[in-house]
Amino acid sequence: MAENFLAAQDLQKSFNGNKAVAGVSFTIGKGEIFGLLGPNGAGKTTTIRILSTVLDADAGDATIGGFSLRKNPAEVRSLIGVCPQDLALYEELSALDNLIFFGRMEGLDGKEARSQAMVNLALMELTERAKGKIAKFSGGMKRRINLAIALMGNPKLLFLDEPTVGIDPQSRNKIFETILNLRDKGLTVLYTTHYMEEADRICDRVAIMDGGKIVAMDTPLRLRSQIGDPDKVTLEDVFLKLTGRSLRD
Amino acid sequence: MKNALLVALREVKEYLQDKADLAFSLILPIVTFALICGAFGGSGLFHGTAYVVNEDTNGIYAQQLLNSIKKQDSLDLQLLKRADADNKLNRSDLTMVFLIPADFSDKLNLGQPAQLTIMQRGNGGQDGQIVASIVSGIVSEMNQQFTVAAQVSQALAGQNIPPAQIAMTTMQFLKRESTNPLVGIDEVSIGSKPNTVKEFLPGILTMYVLFSISLTAAAINDERKKGTLERLITTRLTIGQLFFGKFLAGVLRGFIQTLILMTLSWAVFRIFTPFSFVETLLIALLFATACSAIGLLITSIAHTGEASTWVGVFFTMTMTMLGGTFFTITKGTVLYQIGRISINGYANDAVKTLINGGSFSTLGVDIAVLAGVTVTAFIVARMLFKAVPQGK
Repeated sequence: MAENFLAAQDLQKSFNGNKAVAGVSFTIGKGEIFGLLGPNGAGKTTTIRILSTVLDADAGDATIGGFSLRKNPAEVRSLIGVCPQDLALYEELSALDNLIFFGRMEGLDGKEARSQAMVNLALMELTERAKGKIAKFSGGMKRRINLAIALMGNPKLLFLDEPTVGIDPQSRNKIFETILNLRDKGLTVLYTTHYMEEADRICDRVAIMDGGKIVAMDTPLRLRSQIGDPDKVTLEDVFLKLTGRSLRD
Repeated sequence: MKNALLVALREVKEYLQDKADLAFSLILPIVTFALICGAFGGSGLFHGTAYVVNEDTNGIYAQQLLNSIKKQDSLDLQLLKRADADNKLNRSDLTMVFLIPADFSDKLNLGQPAQLTIMQRGNGGQDGQIVASIVSGIVSEMNQQFTVAAQVSQALAGQNIPPAQIAMTTMQFLKRESTNPLVGIDEVSIGSKPNTVKEFLPGILTMYVLFSISLTAAAINDERKKGTLERLITTRLTIGQLFFGKFLAGVLRGFIQTLILMTLSWAVFRIFTPFSFVETLLIALLFATACSAIGLLITSIAHTGEASTWVGVFFTMTMTMLGGTFFTITKGTVLYQIGRISINGYANDAVKTLINGGSFSTLGVDIAVLAGVTVTAFIVARMLFKAVPQGK
């Protein structure tokens, strides 16, 4: 087992008296892709927002790369990259300008930011559209730029909050390839998704959340084995068995 | 500081690349400027047109009346046909037309009263009323001539003086009287001629800077809505740098528009000297910092784009009205005292002083108020500001 790069201990967060995260603890090893699954409102995004220093936890703490969220948030921010669920781009600027700007915000100088931006655009196969305005990009291209921005500054831990929502299979496949390649280079990934086959395909381990708590956590294979023949049972079967079939919205 | 500057420059760059936003914000000062030229660029004296239908085409007195109108410096004469005049009045193309009836001269020759008819739509409009007043003066003068001539003829009747000689002598006296009246009006101008451009331009300049309140307030909430604000705070950018960057962006945007308007004003109206231009720019910059800080204060209190826009617009409009942008507020009045709560009143006074040749060194109070508002609003806004509700 690789050393833990992230260790969350008893994270809690309430909004107006409603517990969004109710004592979540887990670890992610260095170079591991860890999936956080759960129905809408399970607390996945709130957990990511706490871990990425956007929200302060009401209780609990986490260490990332040895730095405490509570005590060393600036150091934590220097280690992470965030690809939010909703596109967070400057539509009036070009793809290159978006990447360079966020690169500068990660502490890169102008030359280094431009150089990394070109590398990440190439990684997403968008070099030819570098100077194109984001507003004119397709949904899939915007998703890829959203991910490329998260890679600026060479983060050690990447938060991917449903990065493949609403895009074409080609773009989705490109994103998978990129994540797996980066994992092979030592990047640690926390990945949330609604698509169970995605989690099954790329995650080394998954945690299933419901009602703000983790209700199961293991490798996809072991989770499938818990309810039947792993070759016949899908992760979605496990998910539905653990979280129920009632609608959450 | 470097990161704050990068945030500000990014915002200005986005603003410059958003063609619709850019066109609107650059065209608006130019349109305003054109309106100022249209409203204040003329001589300032009244000049109107008297539209006349003359049905007494061969009448000597009708011609005399038309000649008198033509002689007026402040009036142009335009003759119309009756049908054309009716049509234009019906369509409101004209609001007032004078009708000289066909029997106008005949009646006067017979010593009978003759009527000049004013056909008007509504009250004839403000210009129409002035034209009517001038024409009434001409008619009154003609009437006086007839009265005097009739009275002289009556007084000299039976003295064997030929009527033509009485009429000619009377006209000579009347002409001399009208050229050298016994009672006249002497116009004496006190002080320099009022300059409406200098009077109102400062208010319009400061109004544009005031717009940066709404722009700053909206900009942060727009970013919050787009998700980029939350993304930014997961980078190494600190909240303080983000906040200061937004402040700088607000200052720059407000200042760019003002710079355009000031440059145009200088080029066309020549109301600045190079020195007063620079001094006025400094005041505009200081005022822009105050407005940007207030914009941040609004965005720190109002967490939605709509709320901050409405608060920003309300604040801007109130300050604009109280600051004497569209009308002059006399010093010492209650309205003036109330207007002292308006920050653009101070900026307005400062700019007015500078373009009227006043010294920068006399603007201590105005500068102190603007600087005080900047610092106070900035500090309070920073204390209240949260990039993410229930977060940082």
